[in-house]
Amino acid sequence: MLNIIIVDDEPLARENLRCLLKEFTEINITAECSNAFEAIKAIHNQSPDVVFLDIQMPKISGIEMLSMISPLHMPYIVFLTAYEEYAIKAFEEQAFDYLLKPIDPLRLNKTIQRLLIINEKQNLEQLKTDKYLKYIPCMGHNRIYLIDPNDIYYANCRTSGVYVFNHDNVEYYTELTLKTLEEKTQLIYCHRQYLINIQKLKEIRFSHTSHTDIILNNDISVPASRRYLKLLKEQLGLV
Amino acid sequence: MIEFNLILQLLQQMCVYLVIAYLLSKTPIFIPIMQVTVSLPHKLICYVIFSFFCIMGTYFSFRIEDTLANTRAIGAILGGILGGPYVGLLVGVTGGLHRYSLGGITAEICMTSTILTGFISGIVHYILLKKGRVDLIYNPFIIAILAMLSESLEMIMILVFSKPYDVVSHAVHSIAAPMIVANSIGSAMFMQILLDRKIIFDKYTSTFSAKALSIAARTEGLLRDKFNQENSTKVAHIIYQELGVGAVSITDREKILAFIGIGSDHHLPGTPITSKATLESIEDNEVKYLDGLHELYQCSINKQCRLGSALVIPLRGEKKEVVGTIKIYEAKNTLFSSINRTLGEGIASLLSAQILTGQNESYQQLLSQTRIKLLHAQVNPHFLFNSLNTLLAVIRRDQEQASKLVQHLSTFFRKNLKRPEEIVTLKDELDHITAYLEIEKMRFIDKLDIQIHVPKLLEQAYLPAFSLQPIVENAIKHGISQMIGLGTITIRAHKYQQILVLEVEDNAGNYRKEHKSNNGLGMTLVHERIQIRYGKQYGLTIQCESDIYTKAILKLPLDKEHRNAKYHNC
Repeated sequence: MLNIIIVDDEPLARENLRCLLKEFTEINITAECSNAFEAIKAIHNQSPDVVFLDIQMPKISGIEMLSMISPLHMPYIVFLTAYEEYAIKAFEEQAFDYLLKPIDPLRLNKTIQRLLIINEKQNLEQLKTDKYLKYIPCMGHNRIYLIDPNDIYYANCRTSGVYVFNHDNVEYYTELTLKTLEEKTQLIYCHRQYLINIQKLKEIRFSHTSHTDIILNNDISVPASRRYLKLLKEQLGLV
Repeated sequence: MIEFNLILQLLQQMCVYLVIAYLLSKTPIFIPIMQVTVSLPHKLICYVIFSFFCIMGTYFSFRIEDTLANTRAIGAILGGILGGPYVGLLVGVTGGLHRYSLGGITAEICMTSTILTGFISGIVHYILLKKGRVDLIYNPFIIAILAMLSESLEMIMILVFSKPYDVVSHAVHSIAAPMIVANSIGSAMFMQILLDRKIIFDKYTSTFSAKALSIAARTEGLLRDKFNQENSTKVAHIIYQELGVGAVSITDREKILAFIGIGSDHHLPGTPITSKATLESIEDNEVKYLDGLHELYQCSINKQCRLGSALVIPLRGEKKEVVGTIKIYEAKNTLFSSINRTLGEGIASLLSAQILTGQNESYQQLLSQTRIKLLHAQVNPHFLFNSLNTLLAVIRRDQEQASKLVQHLSTFFRKNLKRPEEIVTLKDELDHITAYLEIEKMRFIDKLDIQIHVPKLLEQAYLPAFSLQPIVENAIKHGISQMIGLGTITIRAHKYQQILVLEVEDNAGNYRKEHKSNNGLGMTLVHERIQIRYGKQYGLTIQCESDIYTKAILKLPLDKEHRNAKYHNC
């Protein structure tokens, strides 16, 4: 049984694919998403086996989205596109699976059969062209924010999720994990649950209770643990 | 008798002086002193030259009874009259100090009188200038009188102030007449030399500029239209008339385009180039000059040809590449004038510039035409395949809806087949847009809201095809389709004076100036095309507030195409 998610901004395109996939008894559609924001959340929550991913989507394209998914949850990706001359060429070279819209049922069948038999790992690294994310997708109340990583002072992981904080210490909820943020931005760990922007660091304050705080440029203090402090000091060339 | 000899000797000295003046007048140094100017470098040149003459006048002098018979005054007078009071004074001081350094009983007086001479001449210059009688400054007669007076003054001063009186009186007696005569004649002749030079120079420049200007004016724009046989013939004819040379010919890289003048019976337009000089000039991108004396021009077609000298100048187009040549000929018995030679080269660069502008203009037109054609020949493939994908779903859902979608698609494609240079009504353009938007609406279902506010009256306004549609397509592609929430696109039309104002507004606010290429080649093309067609006051402007709205405002003349379209219908 394969759990899959469909990601496409056009409702009728999702419907087309859904109808075609219904023919396969081995397939279970767990979610349908109309943009990358919804998709990141669904993937992190459901850890599907396969994601059918449209490339052309608002704000964050399918390819950009790949960098934002935690490697732990990374599903097998089948790309969807109506027409993407250059992308297709790249996909062919890397042997990524892609489907052209309108989807040919026979071609889809081939893809599904392969998915059921082979359980190979995809190497999507070639598609992630930029080392760092250009922006962090964040969800507000009825709103979506794309935040420049350089504007983030620190990030914090709580039970309710991951939050990034700006200069005014306003928090934004993001679906990205701390680990992804650490890998894909210049933020670094100072604590198991905190990342700080080293550009915004003002001072490291050691108190006698062997407790350490990091003071940022906006005078917000962030706890630092002994384990990460060592790494942090190394980064600063303080060892 | 002594006196007469002295006159002769001084005149002899003056002759040496004049020869030097004549030779100097042939150099470019003399150009500034032939004009009355206030520029400092010119004044400086004036000072240096005349101080030199002043000192030279003293050097060539004869010692007579402890005084010097000389022609120093010439330098001081000319310096003053040509350079003004300051230059006159400085020349006088320089010449005077030099005289003083040589000593003698009249040293101080000679120095003072030289300074005075220079200064007085300068004052005369100043007065004449004030009175607006610049012509008198160059009058040799005035100079002669000035020299006579200042020399007489010097003699009187020597008599009055120098001692002992009897020695001085005797000296003055012998040098007074020769010096007055020699300095007067010398100054006047010096000025005459300058004057002659000036006249020749003026005449030369005026003929030259008159010819050049006349040719420039008459050939203006001829070759910009097209570098072909017809236009070349016109140009060659003008040059032939203006220069009065034996013959004028214009060629492209292979053949003669025009030939006017001697030998036109066998140098026929349309025939290939056979002249070796021309072929070399094209090959080497160089001017070839066969002056008829050292190098003879020999016609390669007819041995009897009367042409004997030729100047071949390459015409250069884009990237300095030779596109042809212009040739100027003289007959065997005529000298090739240097004016015509210089003018010929000037004309060639003038014509080259015209050809280049013409080439650029036509390239640009061609380019923008091709770009528009390409843009419209190619329906956005994304749109095409996504529409077909939508159609697939709609067929399954709702047959009636599906047939509507097919209708919209066929309207869209039919309208897309219009020629870009066509003039259409606003209604026609709106039909195109509506078909497009209806298809997009089916794709995005609940995500797209369309508002069209166009008064019935304006629907009959005329505009170039594909003026509005690319703007709407752009608003969807780069605006609405990048939104997560509901997108609204509003199209309005209104009339402002005699301007048709069309607005396309979306609520995405995604337009970035710095991403112009991302924001659509179509937009730039629409703007360029309208500005080329109607002028700079029309075209496309864009307002954007990030995440709130983007508004594209298109301005077109309201009645211009209306009239044109009526004519077309006639």
